[in-house]
Amino acid sequence: MCILVDERTRIIVQGITGSIGSTQTKLMLDYGSKIVAGVTPGKGGATVHGVPVYDSVKAAVSEHPADVSMLLVPAPFIKDAAVEAMDSGMKLLVAITEHVPVHDAVYIREQAESLGVRVIGPTTPGIICPGKTKIGIMPASVFMEGNVGIISRSGTLLYEIAGNLTLAGIGQSTCVGIGADPVVRIDMVDILRLFERDEHTKLVAIVGEIGGVQEEEAAQFIGEMKKPVVAYVAGRVAPPGERMGHAGAIILRGRGTAQSKINVLKSAGAKIANRPSDVVSLTKTCI
Amino acid sequence: MRLFEYEAKEIFRKLGIPVPKGATAGSTDEVSLAVRKVGLPVAIKAQVLVGGRGKAGGIKFAESLEDAVEQAKESMSEPIRGHKVNRVLIEEKLNIKHEYYFGVIIDQLSGAPTIMLSTEGGVDVEIIAGDKPETLVSKRVSPSRGLFRFEAREMCRQLGMYGSLLLKSSDILYLLYGVFSKYDALIGEINPLVVTTQDEIYAVGSVLEIDDNSLFRHSDIGLDLSRRSEDDIKREAVERGLSYVRLDGDIGVIGSGAGLTMATIDLIKDFGGKPANFLETGGGITEQLMERAVELVLKDGRLSALLINLYGGINPMPAAAKGIVKAFERLRPKIPILVKVVGNQQEEAWNILEIAGITVVKEIQTEVAVKKLISMLGE
Repeated sequence: MCILVDERTRIIVQGITGSIGSTQTKLMLDYGSKIVAGVTPGKGGATVHGVPVYDSVKAAVSEHPADVSMLLVPAPFIKDAAVEAMDSGMKLLVAITEHVPVHDAVYIREQAESLGVRVIGPTTPGIICPGKTKIGIMPASVFMEGNVGIISRSGTLLYEIAGNLTLAGIGQSTCVGIGADPVVRIDMVDILRLFERDEHTKLVAIVGEIGGVQEEEAAQFIGEMKKPVVAYVAGRVAPPGERMGHAGAIILRGRGTAQSKINVLKSAGAKIANRPSDVVSLTKTCI
Repeated sequence: MRLFEYEAKEIFRKLGIPVPKGATAGSTDEVSLAVRKVGLPVAIKAQVLVGGRGKAGGIKFAESLEDAVEQAKESMSEPIRGHKVNRVLIEEKLNIKHEYYFGVIIDQLSGAPTIMLSTEGGVDVEIIAGDKPETLVSKRVSPSRGLFRFEAREMCRQLGMYGSLLLKSSDILYLLYGVFSKYDALIGEINPLVVTTQDEIYAVGSVLEIDDNSLFRHSDIGLDLSRRSEDDIKREAVERGLSYVRLDGDIGVIGSGAGLTMATIDLIKDFGGKPANFLETGGGITEQLMERAVELVLKDGRLSALLINLYGGINPMPAAAKGIVKAFERLRPKIPILVKVVGNQQEEAWNILEIAGITVVKEIQTEVAVKKLISMLGE
């Protein structure tokens, strides 16, 4: 079926009354996502597209039990908002917010680790189970229900790869954006493990990019997997030492190049896509 | 954002880390003043935002004032690994007995601050880790607990220090972690930490890189961001909240996400073209931001074509389209231009662009847009 979330998942949105919060809430409701409440301090009592707003997460979940909090609060407030959600018992956080200070992400990661909370992001498009629920900012039109699981560090590149698959009639079981920051809570390996266990997923596509060690860590697990893995890594043209948009997308002192990631993924047994359209042709040969 | 060495040292000094006596200079007159202030002999250190300076000849020494002026002139006329040298740091030359490496980074594997110390200072930590890993003492720090003084002492003890050196060095390590934590640093390094023949200790080499995303809470540092980049377009991009990287080619690229934009430049290269830049808007597109992004890229005289690649997820596509049209109507570019727009409200955006006579690609695949642009260039 889906991993991490499904059509029954009850969602709260922190930062629901902002312009992005309200727009994305509407798009998620249209998709069928079960948003049970929203939180904006000082705006308790309001409603956004019919969703009741509360002053705190505690107040929201005491009236409307929830499983997931989606965070759309501005970067300076994310540390506070994330700890509030964890303190109120939320076990899965989807932190959409971009430009989060790394030291705050480090703190959130440590708290989440000690409390056993999963955090997707920061700087994630979120998570979507096509046809069931969408907890994120992705355009619904490029996704379709099916058997391919996707893990991506980038948002827009997730849309590109999923869009290529959808156009070819290949749907997706779940698509997870793990986040493009240097420090994120969830690792590619966590998601790979869930996809490996999920009956519905027949193949996993990894969408990576330069910088960091996520792809290298994932490669260590791919060898143990029974399901086929297709991988695309962006940034082959990226010059060393330059941050390519994402804070985590940087080749530092010769490490984290696209080619080195491609090499380790390849030797672990992943099929390498050189272009987004190759993900489609490789997927067709595997399933 | 990496700080110049003299800026990092000013912060270190303010927080109690001993640094050598020094002054910066950008002209011959200033060099003379600086040498008088510091006293001979001196070290002359090129101020550039790039590592490996020592090997590239960026550190010189002088015994006399004339020599210092001559050396400083030479320093400021030779770029260091492609970076122009506008200022030098003149420092007292120390009599070195031993050099150590002290560093704190955010380790991407564990996602936590990690301290590394070595008895082999003066070279890159990667080289130490590769050649002499047995000299490294490292420790992961819990961000909520922070570093205790006893932990700093224990690390220095493991490095083989004792007596007053142990106490002074562990104090410096404790303060370095304090700077790292207080200023949201990605890298805080003292390399080398020098012990002089008189048993004094100084932070001689200093690196401090502050997380750009945390600058909103560090306005007190008072840094002038405009001097960080020599590239005019890049400087303007940063001021406008855009991510820009200059490349060697002639096809301008604007994308609405980092991953997508990276894939776009990869594909341009794949299909035989050469990207001139990487420009990424992030998730905050407005009509004005898009207009400025287009204007900025079109300023680049090298361009023979422009590809704009946008997804409507969090970004509003009609506003993006309006911004593009505004820039076009004002600047009337003569080069081939393609705009690919897919996602929320795509029809509305297509309509806005087509009415203005802009070629729109409606397919999901970026490859279609890239191929089309390359074929337009061939005509």
